[in-house]
Amino acid sequence: MALLDNGKINGRQLMVLVFLFSVGTTVLVIPSGLAGIAKQDAWIAGLVGILLGILIVGLYVLLWRMHPEKTFVGICEAVLGKWAGTVVSLIYCLYLFMLTAAVLFYVSNFFQIHFLPRTPVVFTCALFAIIVVMGVRMGLESIARTSELMLPWFLILFFVLVTTLTPQINADNMLPVYEAGTKSVIWAGIIFAGTAYMPMVFLFALLPKVQDRQMKLARLGVFLAAAAGGLCVVLVTLLCVLILGPDYTMRSIFPSYALVKKISIGNFIQRIEAILAALWFITTYMKTTFYFYSWVTSLSEILRLNNYRTLTLPCAIIMIVFSQIVYPNVIYMQHWDETVFPPYIITIGVVIPVVLWIIGLMRGTTDVSRQPKITD
Amino acid sequence: MKVSMKRCAVMLIVVFLLLPLTGCWDRRELNELAIAVGLGIDKVGERYRVTAQVVQPSEVATSKGSAGYSTPVTTYRASGVTIFEAIRKMTTISPRKIYAAHLRVVVIGEELAREGIAEALDLLSRDYELRMDFYVIVAKETKAEDLLELLTPLDKIPASKIYNSIQVSEKAWAPVSAVTLDMFIRDYESKGKNPVLSGIKATGNEEKGKQKSNVEKLQPDARLRNNGLAVFRYDKLIGWLSEEQSKGYNYIVNRVKSTVGHVPCPSGDGNIALEIIHSKSRMKTEVRNGKPKLTVDLRVEENVGEVMCQADLTEKSVIDALEREAEQSLRDIIERTIKTGQEKFHCDFFGFGEALHRSNLRVWKQMENDWEEHFVDASITVNAKVVIKRTGTVDNSFIVDKER
Repeated sequence: MALLDNGKINGRQLMVLVFLFSVGTTVLVIPSGLAGIAKQDAWIAGLVGILLGILIVGLYVLLWRMHPEKTFVGICEAVLGKWAGTVVSLIYCLYLFMLTAAVLFYVSNFFQIHFLPRTPVVFTCALFAIIVVMGVRMGLESIARTSELMLPWFLILFFVLVTTLTPQINADNMLPVYEAGTKSVIWAGIIFAGTAYMPMVFLFALLPKVQDRQMKLARLGVFLAAAAGGLCVVLVTLLCVLILGPDYTMRSIFPSYALVKKISIGNFIQRIEAILAALWFITTYMKTTFYFYSWVTSLSEILRLNNYRTLTLPCAIIMIVFSQIVYPNVIYMQHWDETVFPPYIITIGVVIPVVLWIIGLMRGTTDVSRQPKITD
Repeated sequence: MKVSMKRCAVMLIVVFLLLPLTGCWDRRELNELAIAVGLGIDKVGERYRVTAQVVQPSEVATSKGSAGYSTPVTTYRASGVTIFEAIRKMTTISPRKIYAAHLRVVVIGEELAREGIAEALDLLSRDYELRMDFYVIVAKETKAEDLLELLTPLDKIPASKIYNSIQVSEKAWAPVSAVTLDMFIRDYESKGKNPVLSGIKATGNEEKGKQKSNVEKLQPDARLRNNGLAVFRYDKLIGWLSEEQSKGYNYIVNRVKSTVGHVPCPSGDGNIALEIIHSKSRMKTEVRNGKPKLTVDLRVEENVGEVMCQADLTEKSVIDALEREAEQSLRDIIERTIKTGQEKFHCDFFGFGEALHRSNLRVWKQMENDWEEHFVDASITVNAKVVIKRTGTVDNSFIVDKER
């Protein structure tokens, strides 16, 4: 296998990445979806989603342990053979292509609605994409270190968000608890897991680059980071329900942004939403960068290229153009996210990994034995 | 040579980047904005008539130089089938585009309020420029445009005067309540609560109030006054609450921060004013034998603020008697207010239905579709507990027996 990227990341960096990855975009849109299905029980649905998410992350970790030195493309080829493997890998790339453009659409949509209503979308998309491409061209190590640098900012802003909003809480909005019923809560939980956790299947592009003296701890860290990211999202969802109420949360396109608009402490600390919006920029940047990184590295692995960097510019151009048409309008976007996305992401995020894992078990193609340096 | 070529290329890119980085595409300079602080909405026939109260920055700024040759605000009016069109149409009479991020109040004419205001409020909840922190107000017995054209003393900008006076009296005077758009929408959507909005009334000579001379007089020709709460069924105004009923309403929904009330003296001659320093209420709805029972638990802390008779305040029994008296008076106010809701308006604008929804989901599911009928039949229990804490800087009044 050609070494596409010589970068190595350690367990802690992986944790930070997983954390930001599970928060990114999810926090911006999911409160609305959850409240739409489970009303004031949206936060319970979120917790259910985290539990499901832990199972999903568990599946990925199992697959990772089975093939510690392979990317998703590599796993497919090893398990399914050259032809079938390539087909599945191409499907994986296609998903990445769609989702990268979709996330870019989200970013530009957010800008368009709240900040720059008269700036042509293609400019916001292109500017955002330029930084993404820059990050990806610099390689995994730079991205990982950037995410480590971003984490404190994220945490500070998140802390400000939660503390400045607590005075506005109206606990009555939460009552009656569990009106939605088990069915809605579980369905909403699946949507949550689908948005926050199943896209982690795309992190397989960087899992082989993880080098840590204690791989066991690194793997445990993935669970912790995923749960922590999920809890952040659930906390924001809970605040949305407690402050905006379930109906308004449901109607809002970006409820968590509507939430920070409410911040007002003594008529003095107020109108700070533009600062807090950095929360979303940091996390969506990380998410977009990873989708893009996974996409170009997977594609170059399929094409047997020696260097994925040659693909970044053409792919970026396709991505920007596609992001303009991936959703014809926001209503289509919401409809797609609610009805098409769940089965879509379950296919690539659950069904295919499970199949790969089971076939791997039956064939016994586990290369753990060939890795004596791994200490688990 | 090769290195310098590369350096040149980088320099060229940097220079080129200066062009797109000079600023924001959507920048709007202060001198291009017409900062709207108040928005009035009326309906004339099938068209909405929108009035925007816009700040004249040079008049509001404190520098002495330019101020004084015009009014501190000006208004623009336009009408359209939709409100958005009307606001955009204002560019035909205004040199600047209306900028609504600093909106303080939205005033709705009473006539439109009686027809229904939901359609008129959608834009305000949808547009990105607006925030949810402005108050929605009904112009009692008048059109919104007339109310927004009065000039006010002390606070140069009338919309900001309305905003501040509601904010201040909400904190100090129980009958006034500040309602923001999101509160209205939430109540409108709820099946167990109907909305209320605060009302503003113009008093005096409205025509003279529109002139600059209004603020040059010690006693202005026209003033704006907070005036009771407007009760809505869904989005239609169905009536007004009196001052006492507005007070009762705010006690019930736990929105009294501080206010002053009075009870008669123990001697029966004169009154004692009590300052409410803390008030906490809780609504409960229970259903027994298919009939709802509405309960309000109220706990109030008060100070004696003014004594207009001879009363021995050093005596504990007198204070106890005053507390019982105050409890009785609060109970009466609250009961009368709920009765008004049941008998006059047939409408639950307190949120007893929501209280039932929160506490007993199963019963609520049976009652939610005809909740108003159940509400009208409901029995009322008010548990008021008053505690008098302090008596100001003195205990007994200097007033001696008037029969002396």
